[in-house]
Amino acid sequence: MSLIAFLGAIEIGLMYGLVAIGVYLSFRILDFPDLTVDGSLPLGAAVGATLIVAGVPPVVATLAGGLAGGLAGLVTAWLSVRLGILHLLASILTMIALHSVNLRVMGKPNQPLLGVDTVFTPFESLGLSPYWVTPVVLLGIVAAILLAVNWFLGSELGLAMRATGANARMARAQGIHTGWLTMLGIALSNGLVGMAGALFAQIQGGADITMGVGVIVVGLAAVILGEAIVSPRVIVIALIACVLGSIVYRLTVALALNAGFLGLQAQDLKLVTAVLVVVAMVLPGLRRKYAGSKAVAR
Amino acid sequence: MIDVQDIHVRFNAGTALEKHAVQGLSLTIPEGQFVTVIGSNGAGKSTLLNVLAGEVLPTTGRLMIDNQEVTRWPTSRRAGLVARVFQDPLAGTCERLSIEENLALALHRGKRRGLSRALHADQREHLRSRLAVLGLGLEGRMQDRMGLLSGGQRQAVSLVMATLTPPRILLLDEHTAALDPKTAAFIMGLTDRVVAERRLTTLMVTHSMRQALDHGNRTIMLHEGRVVLDVTGHERKGMRVEDLLHMFEKVRGQEVEDDRLLLG
Amino acid sequence: MKKNTVRALAVILLAGLALGPGQALAEAKAVKITAIVEHPALDSVRKGVIDELAAQGFKDGDAIAVEFQSAQGDVGIAGQIAQKFVGDGPAVIVPISTPSAQAVAAAAKGRVPVVFSAVTDPVAAKLVPEWKKPGANITGVSDLTPLDKQLDVVKRMVPSLKNLGVPYNPGEANSVVLLNKLKDVAQPKGITIIGAAAPSSNDVLQAGRSLVGKVDAMFVTTDNTVVSALEALVKVGTEAKLPLFAADTASVDRGAVAAVGFDYYDIGRQTGAIVARVLKGEKPGDIPVEGVEKLQLHLNARTAKAMGIALPEDLAKQAAKVVE
Repeated sequence: MSLIAFLGAIEIGLMYGLVAIGVYLSFRILDFPDLTVDGSLPLGAAVGATLIVAGVPPVVATLAGGLAGGLAGLVTAWLSVRLGILHLLASILTMIALHSVNLRVMGKPNQPLLGVDTVFTPFESLGLSPYWVTPVVLLGIVAAILLAVNWFLGSELGLAMRATGANARMARAQGIHTGWLTMLGIALSNGLVGMAGALFAQIQGGADITMGVGVIVVGLAAVILGEAIVSPRVIVIALIACVLGSIVYRLTVALALNAGFLGLQAQDLKLVTAVLVVVAMVLPGLRRKYAGSKAVAR
Repeated sequence: MIDVQDIHVRFNAGTALEKHAVQGLSLTIPEGQFVTVIGSNGAGKSTLLNVLAGEVLPTTGRLMIDNQEVTRWPTSRRAGLVARVFQDPLAGTCERLSIEENLALALHRGKRRGLSRALHADQREHLRSRLAVLGLGLEGRMQDRMGLLSGGQRQAVSLVMATLTPPRILLLDEHTAALDPKTAAFIMGLTDRVVAERRLTTLMVTHSMRQALDHGNRTIMLHEGRVVLDVTGHERKGMRVEDLLHMFEKVRGQEVEDDRLLLG
Repeated sequence: MKKNTVRALAVILLAGLALGPGQALAEAKAVKITAIVEHPALDSVRKGVIDELAAQGFKDGDAIAVEFQSAQGDVGIAGQIAQKFVGDGPAVIVPISTPSAQAVAAAAKGRVPVVFSAVTDPVAAKLVPEWKKPGANITGVSDLTPLDKQLDVVKRMVPSLKNLGVPYNPGEANSVVLLNKLKDVAQPKGITIIGAAAPSSNDVLQAGRSLVGKVDAMFVTTDNTVVSALEALVKVGTEAKLPLFAADTASVDRGAVAAVGFDYYDIGRQTGAIVARVLKGEKPGDIPVEGVEKLQLHLNARTAKAMGIALPEDLAKQAAKVVE
C-alpha cells in the first residue's frame, strides 16, 4: 500500500470516526437507534459546501454544518419524545424528509468544492506535503472534539444523559428530565455527524446527495469493531475505540483495493472488506473475550 | 407533612376495562411518622404509591407535601421531595453505571444539573463512608458496575441512594419482597436504622402483616381502594397478626383469603 | 482450524496486502480506471478506452498495465480508490462519471494526469475552468448530448409538439443539468418542458403515467436511473399512445421510437484517443475537453407503430439503423 493510500485511509477513517462518536452517543449511551445520520451527514455537507461557495469562511461554514445536523437530530428526538413516535420510525421519517431538504439547500444534487478555500487551506501554505496536512489537521480536530465529548459525559448533565439511556424510569425518579436530555443527546449526536459531513465535502471535493447512503451501517461497524479490538472500561477509551474502529475499517478497505493480485476483481471489493474485518477481529484474539465480557460502564 | 385529600384513581374510564383503583382515599402523615401499608392484591397499595411518586396522576383529589400542592407534578419534578426504593432491585438502579455513579445521581436528585464534574474527590469520600456503614465491603468496589451486585446488595445501595439527600417522604415499595429471608431481615434492619437516624417520614408498602406490625409506628390497611383500618400508638403496640385479621374481618364482614397476607 | 493457525494466516494475508505489489511491472505504464458504479453504459466506456488504446499500440499487459476499481456506489470508497490510484504513481487516471472524477481531482491535487469520461458538465463540476484550454492536469470527454438536434427530430415526428414530458432523477447531478439545458434549448422552439421526478428506478413507471394527458411526447436524457427502467416508459408509451424518444441509441433497441445519440462505447474510444496522447507525452492541460462527435440517428419502426406515429420517409433513409 502506498503512503498516500495509507494516509488517505487515516483521513477518511478520522472523519468517519466523528460519525462513530455520534453513533456511540445515540446507540450506546441513549439506547436510541437513530437512522437520522443517513440524512444529517449530507445535510452538514450541503450546508457547509453551499456556504463556502457563497464566500463564508470555511470554519464558520463547517460549524454551520454541525448546527444543521444538530437541528435535524432535534427534529427526530422531538418526534419521538413529544409526539410519542417510536424512536426508530421517527429517525427514518427525518432521514426521508432530509433528502428533499438537502436538494433544496444545494439547489442541485451535487455541489463541487474544488479549487476553493477549505479549513485545511491555511495549513497547506506552511510547506508541508498536502497529503500530510489533511490527516494531521483532522487528527487535531477529532482529538479536540473527542476530549470535549468526554468532558461533557463526565459532568452532572452528562451523567444524567447516561442514566437516561441506562434506566429512564430510575433517571426520572432522580429528578432527571429524560425528555430534554434525549433531545440534547440526539441533537449532539447528529451535530457531530453534520460536522463530519461538512469536513468530508471539503476533503472529497464536493457535497453529493448520495453521500449519506449507508452511513449508519459504517458508523455502527466502527463502534462495534472498536469495542472488539479495545474492550473499553472507561468512557474516554470507548470514544477512542470508536475512532480507532473507523480507521481500522478504512484500512481494510484500502487493503482490499490491493487484493487484485489474488485474482479478485473490482466487484469483490465489499466481500473482501468484510473478510478483512473478520480478520481484524480475530487477530487481537479479543473476539471471544468481547462476546463474554460486558465490563464497560457506559 | 404529607396530605392525601380524597384521591380517586380510575383506569380506562368509560371502557369495559374500567378499574376504580383508589376510591376517595384520604390520609395525613405527620412529619417523622413511619407508616406501613398492607392489603391484598388489587387493594390499591401500588397505585397509592405511584400517585405519591408522580407516576400516576389521580383522576380527582389533591396531594400536598408540606402544604405545597404537587398533585400533577411529574416524577422528575417532585424528585427532590420524594425518594423511592422499588421492589425490583434492577428497576431502582442503573445496571450499566458504576456504584459511585449511581450514588452521584442520587446526590444530585432535586438539584439543577450543570456542567460541573459529576463526582468530586470530596464527594467520593462522603459516599465511601456512607457505604462503609453497610458493612458489605462495597466501599472498596465503588467503581464496579452495579450489575455485578447481588439483589440484596443492590437494595442496600438503593436505600443509601434514597437517603443521601433527605427526602420529604421515603417510599418503600415492597422492597424486601424479592430477597431471601436472611437478606430481607438485613435490609429491614438497615431500613429501621436509617429512618430512625434521619427521622424520615416513611411509607412502606408490604405484603406481610408480620412485617407491617414489626416496623414503623402506624399501620393502615387498604381494601378496594379505601383505607379500612388505621391503627397507631397504644392500640397498635400489643397487636398480633390474628388481632389484625379479626379487625379486618369485622370491618369488612369478609374472610381474608390472601395467603401471602396471612403467612407472610 | 486451530485459533493460532487462523491468526498466523491472518497475519500473512494482511502483510501480503499491505506490502504486496498492488500494481505490476515497472516498465509498463500504469493506466488506472475507476467508475462510481458498474452499469452497461459506463462499462462500455471502459471497453472503448481499452480497445482504442490497443488499436494505437498500447496493449494491456504489454505496453500498459490497466487496473480497474468500482466504487460500488459509495462516495467514501470512491475517495479511497482515488487516493490509492494517486499513491500508485500512475501515468494517467481515467475516472468515469462525475463523482469519481471529483474524488480523483481532489486526491490528485494537480500532480497526476487525469482524463475523465462521461461527465456531462465538467465546468459546473469544477473539474476544468473551460473547455478550450483546461490548463491544469485534467481533461476529458463530456457526454453532453446534442439537445438541439434531438428536439428537432422529436418535432419532426410529432409536428403538433407543444409540451414535452421528461422523467428524471432529481438526485442525479447530470440529469438536473440536462433538464435545465433542455428547457433553454426548447424555449425558442416554442416547446414547453414538463419534468416528472423519479428518485429511484421504482418510481419511473409512476412518473411516466403522471405525464399522460399533459404532454404530446416523452423524452429521456442520459439519466442513469430512468434509462435503467426504460421498459416501464415504453409500456406507458404503448398504452397511452404517447411517443417516447431517447438520447442514447441503445435505448432505441429497447423500445424508444427514435434517438439522435451516441453510443457510450464511442465516447470510450474518444477518451482512449486522448489517453493515448497523454501517454505519448502531451499535457492534459493543453488538450481541449471534447464533446460527443459521432452522432447517429436510430429509429424503431415497431414501437413507432405501437405508439401511433408514422416514420417520415426521408428520416428513415438518413437513419443509421432502423429496428423493425
